[in-house]
Amino acid sequence: MLARRRWRFAILALLPVFLIFAYVRIYPIADTLRLSLFKWDLLSKNKPFIGLANFRELFGDRLFQDALFNTTVIAFGVLVITVPLAMVLAALINYRTRSRLAGFYESAIFIPHVVSLVPAAMAWKWIFDARLGPLNAFLSWFGVPAQAWLFDPFWSVVCIIVLCSWQALGYAVLIYLVGFKNLPVSVYEAATLDGANEVQKFWRLSVPLLKPITLYVSVVTLVSGFNVYAQAFVLASDAQGAPGRQVRVLVLDMLENSFRNYRFGYAASEAVILLIIVLVLTLLQFGLLRERATR
Amino acid sequence: MTNQTSLQGKASRAMAGMIGSAVFASALLGSSALAWAETITVWSGYPEMTHFYQHVAEGMKASHPDLEVKVEAIALREHEKRVALGLTSGAAGTTIIELPGSTASRYLENDLLPAAPEAVSAFVKDPANFGQFFVDSASRGGVVYGVPLFRGQAALYYNTDMFAKAGLTEPPKTMDDYTAYAEKLTQRDGSGKATVSGWSLRLSGGGQGIAEKFWINLFQNGGSVLEPAGDGKWKANYANEAGRKTLKQYLDNVFTKKTVAVEMPADAEAFERGQTAMFIRESWVISDIAQKAPDLKYATAPLPAGSIALPANLYVKGDSQAAWDFTLAANTPENLVWLLDNVGWLPNRSGVDYSSVTSAKPAFAAFVDYPDGYKFFTLPAIGPIEEVLTRLAAQLTAAFGDAALAGDDAAIDAYLKAAADETNSILDREGLLAK
Repeated sequence: MLARRRWRFAILALLPVFLIFAYVRIYPIADTLRLSLFKWDLLSKNKPFIGLANFRELFGDRLFQDALFNTTVIAFGVLVITVPLAMVLAALINYRTRSRLAGFYESAIFIPHVVSLVPAAMAWKWIFDARLGPLNAFLSWFGVPAQAWLFDPFWSVVCIIVLCSWQALGYAVLIYLVGFKNLPVSVYEAATLDGANEVQKFWRLSVPLLKPITLYVSVVTLVSGFNVYAQAFVLASDAQGAPGRQVRVLVLDMLENSFRNYRFGYAASEAVILLIIVLVLTLLQFGLLRERATR
Repeated sequence: MTNQTSLQGKASRAMAGMIGSAVFASALLGSSALAWAETITVWSGYPEMTHFYQHVAEGMKASHPDLEVKVEAIALREHEKRVALGLTSGAAGTTIIELPGSTASRYLENDLLPAAPEAVSAFVKDPANFGQFFVDSASRGGVVYGVPLFRGQAALYYNTDMFAKAGLTEPPKTMDDYTAYAEKLTQRDGSGKATVSGWSLRLSGGGQGIAEKFWINLFQNGGSVLEPAGDGKWKANYANEAGRKTLKQYLDNVFTKKTVAVEMPADAEAFERGQTAMFIRESWVISDIAQKAPDLKYATAPLPAGSIALPANLYVKGDSQAAWDFTLAANTPENLVWLLDNVGWLPNRSGVDYSSVTSAKPAFAAFVDYPDGYKFFTLPAIGPIEEVLTRLAAQLTAAFGDAALAGDDAAIDAYLKAAADETNSILDREGLLAK
């Protein structure tokens, strides 16, 4: 009896939060899935069911293919840079944890993560500017001719990867630092006694022991990478003919299809594809990085 | 002592009661006053129009003392999103919405904007006030829904100092002249790289602007992005000689003659800084130059064959006579002269004497004094027009960055055909393609 009352109390206590969560999270996702099967321009009362026609059109859409390709390159580019670099930086900071400057290093690396995205992207837009940017000025000291970083199809994507990695690094380092601080000291002492140097200890002990952290960081980084939009938009944005080439990414393509082309059903089908891609990649990461013992 | 304390307590309570009553009464009066005041909101996609709408509101204070006008002007693309979401979700209060006629058509098709009252309709339909082109842009099926206000119309802006230095005494008259002039006007550094472009072209950027600017140049060559085929049907009209000539001119200037590069500063900002010798844009640039580069020596000229004319109208969401009064007040001669003088967009109303502005600012001449036979085109009022132009813009952006296309007519033709096929497929999907 008492157990049932406690159970009922727990349910009732959680219900308001669950209802809010369902309304702001579950319902929009379910409605997007539903909307992807309809033809709807937001304005008309007429919303005919068209089945998978949106998806069929999507896979033949050149702009969607460009967006998917660019987004995939950016997401994996950020992942490949952020995860190993964050691990190494966290190891270095952890190694010098008793240094007076350890706090400074942590703060310096974390600051980009808390800086607002738009002003940060505008600062990087100036850095990459073909004529006035300090990057070209710096490279000119070494005889490298000025590059139109934001206009070249290849380099404009690289610029976005650099910007996204710069922002993602701080959070990843912070998570890895927590991981390092929770590693068992005895294992490292044993390795020292066995004659292992710091690099060997890092590679043979830290990397495998930090697998759960790596799993979390890589999932978060990859999901965030697939949702890139503001960086691509700001680096190419201008009222009078952009200072950069607009790199087409999935979220931008979705917004364009929704609010420029008034094709909400079509944009919803893009969102469904993005959801499936992120889910599949997340499951793959879990499969690759999950601890063998927990299987 | 006890009596004194008791008296003091009573006095304090009485004072507190009086203060409380006074506060309550003021709040009651204040809220009553607010209840009498009407608030209307103006949504605009051009931030430079803020002061104009505020000026109109100021002028209405005598006839509408309780009217409060809030002006919310944001960037055009954000404004379009706001209108799409605001009208479908039911924007609270009365809203005056500034929209191009071509964009408003989809809202009118879905009964999201009400028809204008009879008095407003009569004002718009009066031939003494507006030409038929502007009446049609604000109407649907013969019913007036909006009030025309201003239009975007393009002309050439050129730096007279740079022209004189290059030995050019008059503006270009043909599109071939544009390329020849661009070569003479381009300034280069020691390595031959262009530092000041001879002719600033719209080569990059998101949205449909690239396609609109391409259409302006295409129109000079006798082409158009979309051509009406009767009975409300359309088809792409740029995979032809006019399209080839237009695209070829872009590629020639970028890759062959190198008079402009995609990474060079462009448009009004570049012109004001002396980073380009000439460019094609709407009349708002005149006021922009007056504010940002008042010492710039420049002139304007009509384009060789004609220009785009994109009318913007005011529509009213909600049931408010004051809002419709605002749309009429915006069209008084005094306010329209103020608009032209202080903002630079061209008023649509006829029969108004703009000479006080055009004589003080001769740059407006190219927009109002054009030669006989000067033609105009506008964006078709069809649902997928934004999608057509946005997708064409994406195609053109890729073309402008493809050096292999320059000088290769066959490759240019193939490129235009692929783009036109995409345009026609969009029209076909919406049941608008001419067979």
